[in-house]
Amino acid sequence: MTGNRSNDLMRKGGIAVALLLVFYLCLFWVETGWDAYKVRILNLSAIYIGITLGLNLCNGFAGQFSLGIAGFMAVGAYTTALLTMAPQTKSAVFFIDPLIWPLNSIQWGFLPALLMAGLVSGLVGFAVGAPAIRFRDDYLGITTLGFAEIIRVVFTNTRSITNGALGLKGIPPQTNLYWSWTFALICILVMVRLTNSSYGRALKAVRDDEVAAEAMGVNLFYHKCLAFVVSAMMAGVGGGLLGNLITTIDPNMFRFPLTFTVLMMAVLGGLGSITGSVIAATLVTVAMEVLRALEEPRVILGMFLPGIPGMRMVVFSIALMAVILFYPKGFMGDRELSLDSFRNLAARFRRRFLYKQV
Amino acid sequence: MSNMNDFALVCENIGMQFGGLAAVSNFALSISERALYGLIGPNGAGKTTVFNVISGVLSPTAGSVKLFGKDITGLNPDEIARRGIARTFQNIRLFRNLTVLENVLVGHHLRREATFGEALLAFPRYRKEESDMLRTSEELLEDVGLGDVAHYRASALPYGQQRRLEIARALATRPRVLLLDEPAAGMNPAETEQLMQLILDVRDRFNLTILLIEHEMKVVMNICERMTVLDHGQIIAEGTPSAIQSNERVIKAYLGGGVIARH
Ligand SMILES: Nc1ncnc2c1ncn2[C@@H]1O[C@H](COP(=O)(O)OP(=O)(O)O)[C@@H](O)[C@H]1O
Ligand SMILES: [Mg+2]
Repeated sequence: MTGNRSNDLMRKGGIAVALLLVFYLCLFWVETGWDAYKVRILNLSAIYIGITLGLNLCNGFAGQFSLGIAGFMAVGAYTTALLTMAPQTKSAVFFIDPLIWPLNSIQWGFLPALLMAGLVSGLVGFAVGAPAIRFRDDYLGITTLGFAEIIRVVFTNTRSITNGALGLKGIPPQTNLYWSWTFALICILVMVRLTNSSYGRALKAVRDDEVAAEAMGVNLFYHKCLAFVVSAMMAGVGGGLLGNLITTIDPNMFRFPLTFTVLMMAVLGGLGSITGSVIAATLVTVAMEVLRALEEPRVILGMFLPGIPGMRMVVFSIALMAVILFYPKGFMGDRELSLDSFRNLAARFRRRFLYKQV
Repeated sequence: MSNMNDFALVCENIGMQFGGLAAVSNFALSISERALYGLIGPNGAGKTTVFNVISGVLSPTAGSVKLFGKDITGLNPDEIARRGIARTFQNIRLFRNLTVLENVLVGHHLRREATFGEALLAFPRYRKEESDMLRTSEELLEDVGLGDVAHYRASALPYGQQRRLEIARALATRPRVLLLDEPAAGMNPAETEQLMQLILDVRDRFNLTILLIEHEMKVVMNICERMTVLDHGQIIAEGTPSAIQSNERVIKAYLGGGVIARH
């Protein structure tokens, strides 16, 4: 019995290690062989997978309607950028108001900077999540949205820390496929473990019925804060990776449309579905880039079509409405795609098409 | 009567005021350990309000609640659950999108020892706790006759089974006192009979003290040892079922615009 189980575990572990090896080899192949544009899209996909999962944890699994994700991303992006930029670059960038000590003289490695970004945005997540015990639904949405706006306004005005509206330039381009996809994989792993654990069930209980959850002994404050903090940490590290991918950031990047984009990814995939978030974040990121073509002037069948800025978002909004019309709960609802569901599908397929003729 | 601390649950002069409405006033109750106690009264009498006060959903505007001699008045519902009071709801409040089994598992969550970090990293202590939880939850579901539907979504269960699931979920918190708010509402006589048997069974198996709300008197007559009758937020009688049945004021409350007239 036990021998069988541990054998099974060993086998599964072996398969997992082998898959990871293949996965990272693929990343190596892409990173070294593909053109920079495609690599960039794949980096963005991975970053958005992690951030969308974070949003899904809070909004989907725990049912806390939060619109603050862009604020957490901003905190993470600025933390990482300020910690990784070289002191010379900093003094060149902060030419109006010099950067305060000790930020002006330090330069950390990428990993500690990202960890710090997670820590700082986690703390901010706690500050936003703590009031969630009082506010619900739309009110919580408005409160968190306000919080994200406050962060942006603060960042615009604390010029000796953030360089204000000018933003940061010359951030070291340290994000590559290994960083971004490791981040995505860790986020997926955390989500799978968390949502299947006792704590994850408690979060879903809070989502389904707060009064009953509390009567069953679920501490609302602890669990809501847990959802907010973990979600904010994922967004913060994701923001850090994003900043060090595109190498320039400014407060205006982190306006509501960014939150909306991530929310759209989570809703399309299905609030409460991990695989849904992964698929939707990838699809939307790729589609965003592909649809960029719509905004460029071009000649089709001998006709000159001028580019219309913002056309992408129009197409996106229509697509979103269409999807919501046909799949009100997103592609996946709150279900997951797993090997089992493929097996079931295959079994159904066999029954339907193979046994019928017999 | 002996020392107050011998009682499992004591309510002293509880008052609950909603603005100008005194939903409950001067409510007192002493239930000894392992008793099956009835709280009856017509609709709107204030029975659910009493439950909400005991379970911490409401803070009473007057009076106090004691659990085995310890004051629990005004504590948060989750803290009260941890101290050993579990409840069901009159209008069923299951975790709709969770499975039947997961609903019961949530009930176990408050007795966890493994921290969030241990759960995330699948430490041995967490894994053991999780498998223990799973086993006891499955046993509990077998006990209340829901073993076959353990993997259904809670919202997919028929009404009677949802009520049973609420009881199973409450039992999972390992309570010492169980509050049942009209558990037989909407059930036919045969189902009601089965449910009352189940209530007696769990009382004996888990050494529980049970406070049972019912608005139809005859349902609880046979199984409660004592009962309190509430009307318009006031206690109008207290005693054994036979004494209650022949009580003038109770008969008047029930005949004069009470349950019988309304149904
Ligand atoms: N949260 C509340 N706010 C205002 N009034 C309430 C509240 N809860 C109950 N009431 C009122 O208190 C009275 C007693 O209600 P309730 O305890 O539900 O009666 P019962 O359970 O005996 O049918 C009713 O008049 C009801 O409208
Ligand atoms: Mg009631």
